[in-house]
Amino acid sequence: MASDERIGEILKAIRDAVVGYDDEACERLCRSALEEGVDPNRAVMEGLTGGMGIVGELYNKQEYFVPELLLCADALNAGLSVLKPHLKVENASEKGKLLLGVVEGDIHDIGKNLVKIMFEAAGWDVYDLGNNVAIAKFAEEQQKVNADIVALSALMTTSMLAMPKIIESLKAQSPGVKVLVGGAPLSQEIARRYGADAYAPDAVAAVKEAANLLGNVM
Amino acid sequence: MRLKQDRMNSAERAKALFDYRKPDRVPISMIAPGFCCRNAGLPITVAYNDPQNNFYAMYWTAEQYGWDPIPQIVRHTVVETLDFGGDVRLPEGEYEGALVIKSFPVKSDSDVEALTMPDPGKTGMIGAALEYGRLQQAHGLPVTFVSRSPFTIASNICGLQQFCKWLIKKPELCERLMKVAIEHTFNVLQYWTDAFGAENIFVFMSSPSESNQVISPKQFEKFALPYHLIYHERLKTLGIKRFFFHVCGDQNANLPRLADASPWEHPSILSFGHEVNLEAAAQYFPKDIICGNIEPAVIQTGTAQQVYELAGANLESGKKIPGGFILSAGCELPIAAPACNVFAITKAVDDLGWY
Amino acid sequence: MSMRHDVMSSNERIYALLAGKPIDRVPLFPFIPGFCARNVGYPIATMYSDAEKSFDAQLKTMEQYGFDWGPLYGYASYGTWEFGGTVKMPAGEYEQAPAHVTFPVQSEADVSRLQLPDVKKAGCLPTAMAFSKLQERSGMPVSIICGGNFTIAGNICSVETLCRWMLKKPDLVHELLRLATDHIVDIVRYWVETFGAERVIPQMWEPSAANYIVSPKQFERFVLPYFQESSARILDMGVKHILYHICGEQNANLPYWAQIPMGDPGLASLGEEIDADTAVRYFGDTCIIIGNIDGKVILEGTPESLYRLCTDTISKLKHAPRGYMMCSGCEIPPNSPPYNVYLMRKAINDAGWYD
Repeated sequence: MASDERIGEILKAIRDAVVGYDDEACERLCRSALEEGVDPNRAVMEGLTGGMGIVGELYNKQEYFVPELLLCADALNAGLSVLKPHLKVENASEKGKLLLGVVEGDIHDIGKNLVKIMFEAAGWDVYDLGNNVAIAKFAEEQQKVNADIVALSALMTTSMLAMPKIIESLKAQSPGVKVLVGGAPLSQEIARRYGADAYAPDAVAAVKEAANLLGNVM
Repeated sequence: MRLKQDRMNSAERAKALFDYRKPDRVPISMIAPGFCCRNAGLPITVAYNDPQNNFYAMYWTAEQYGWDPIPQIVRHTVVETLDFGGDVRLPEGEYEGALVIKSFPVKSDSDVEALTMPDPGKTGMIGAALEYGRLQQAHGLPVTFVSRSPFTIASNICGLQQFCKWLIKKPELCERLMKVAIEHTFNVLQYWTDAFGAENIFVFMSSPSESNQVISPKQFEKFALPYHLIYHERLKTLGIKRFFFHVCGDQNANLPRLADASPWEHPSILSFGHEVNLEAAAQYFPKDIICGNIEPAVIQTGTAQQVYELAGANLESGKKIPGGFILSAGCELPIAAPACNVFAITKAVDDLGWY
Repeated sequence: MSMRHDVMSSNERIYALLAGKPIDRVPLFPFIPGFCARNVGYPIATMYSDAEKSFDAQLKTMEQYGFDWGPLYGYASYGTWEFGGTVKMPAGEYEQAPAHVTFPVQSEADVSRLQLPDVKKAGCLPTAMAFSKLQERSGMPVSIICGGNFTIAGNICSVETLCRWMLKKPDLVHELLRLATDHIVDIVRYWVETFGAERVIPQMWEPSAANYIVSPKQFERFVLPYFQESSARILDMGVKHILYHICGEQNANLPYWAQIPMGDPGLASLGEEIDADTAVRYFGDTCIIIGNIDGKVILEGTPESLYRLCTDTISKLKHAPRGYMMCSGCEIPPNSPPYNVYLMRKAINDAGWYD
């Protein structure tokens, strides 16, 4: 069993591997973590998720952009694939459940994919419906998943018009569900007009907004 | 009608701009093939597969709203995903506004090397584009050539997400794709020049994948900018002088580097999204005509008064730009924009846009 | 911006026409509430439920497309709500106007229980009054849509029941027509008391009396006497002009329509079913003729066919003895291509000047 100091070194190295988008290093370090008896949940939260937290800050400071975010996510997933089978179910950290999709008419999914990455990294349970998701599908899936938050993404002014209908059907079915929207043509004002509960300009902000929404609920 | 009488027609207005003279009023130019189809009661697929109806929809809508075809901006001449063997389909339903990509030509590393150069006369939608060009020429309009930047085209061959990852992990693949992109663009442009004559062509380029919402200014400088330089060298060689560059999205951090290079013929038309301040743009590009930049989402969801005020603010800044100014939306005019909001732009020019 | 500049304002044109004085060009009369909603991006229901928004949307649309006269408030199922039934506002893609849900009269016994509505409170009348106050403020005719008598009767018991009763229980029909007639006069009296007789121009829309439904003999028996009475009583109040929208196929009714006093001049709004020569023959000496561009052509026709229809109609009716205003034959379909609606004004620009 590794000493506290050694554990600290490993966790930092995992974080650095994520931030440095080094898939191989991340995978290798996660294996080492298991071999040296590091709690896998700690490796996920403090290593992988911690790394993505730093990535988020770098994105906010405009030092990291989309290419870096995507690769950091790949590194995280490489590490997660090693650790996931060893995670204790009762300790599986779950901040909340998120149902996510790009709305009907729109196939642009980089933004949505980044949101998925950031939420999973933050410990959310994410159900990704993909892109060009039919209006009715959101409410249908919400019925099965019972997510805390449904997140809608649109890049086009044509497809954003689907949002009010989706939000209306979601709220009619589950009045307590919170809806978060984002995408290039959206804004705080449009989100409010559409009946959404929150708006986020990017993937990093989306996680904060979601946490606020649940915090308000609690 | 209460709108003031024009003292120039669109061609005269364009000539004034390119001579660095003030026209009678600020011209209005729109990227609006979808909106024009709706305005004329046609499905938006007409913009892709029916050049005759598409032409008249655009022609009539410009007449109705007092727009100036500087140039008449149609759907793309180079449709890279299709041209290189991918699969697309036409938009369907109420919420799709553009071609939907079903599969990219490149799905793996080895696909990049295996790419072959398409025959420009047989690619994608070239047949419809050619027919459209002939209609433009028959009506005394410049023939538009519409494509994206080599960086953007390259990203559309393999998908933007994959391209972004390769920028860092396998930049040589990105370079190969951009070389292929520029080669194909100029193969088609040569084909265009042979068909219509260089002096009759107006080239339109957009660069959405270069926005800082995707890549950093360093990545722009390293990967995208060199191809802009090559692009304009080759454009000059072909003898094409007219260029409209839609600098799509938030590219504020790219502007200094772009300004240092400014490789295009001057004046060219530089169109900016609502994210870029027009006065700042004019300072970066003092020898060019600045175009923009009413926020499209406001045109679609705002009130007519809000649109009028935004247009008015743009006109106030724009009229002072020494290189010349064209009023436009910050990107494609939303297909579902209420007509009254679009008219608010015309009205703003009528009230505030005269010199 | 390329149309010839108006010499007169809309109000100047309308009042000159009503006074029998020369005007600069053929006016364009609006019958466009649903189209206005679409033009501005409101749900169609807004046009009937919100006086301010409805007025604003119509005003903006009228300015954009060059319509004259002024915003109007009213709908064909008027009377159902006012006499105690229920209506629902239009919703969804295909509903265009308020529609009956329950009729005030569901049995013969209900007829005798009917009472004249309080014109200050019943149904949509408060909204209509708020709307008319906006009309007054803008200097345009205060135009209340309040009938016609026969259509209101049908809206009280359903057209099908009315038709049956015309043959089986004519006394009940006369009772309903008596109530409808008195109600119309009550409305106009209230409007005249509020705005002054010289400002008020009542409109009566009469679709249920079309020959698709009733014979000319039934028109003579059940429609004509009541119209003659309500018209006379309204004109006695000092109102100068009444507009009758003679909706649908009513050629066989025209000899009777011509016997209804409509003012000096009256205003006869005609559907596309009545040709120009016939219109002039029956109404030319007594009425300003309004109409009658086929709505189907506005909705579905090619721009060329619509333009030709408009210019032909203008040439035939432009010199009608008491004047002419171009209009659609009935409400312009809300989904009409905006360019087609614009073409109507363009046709006036090209063929409708009085030089």
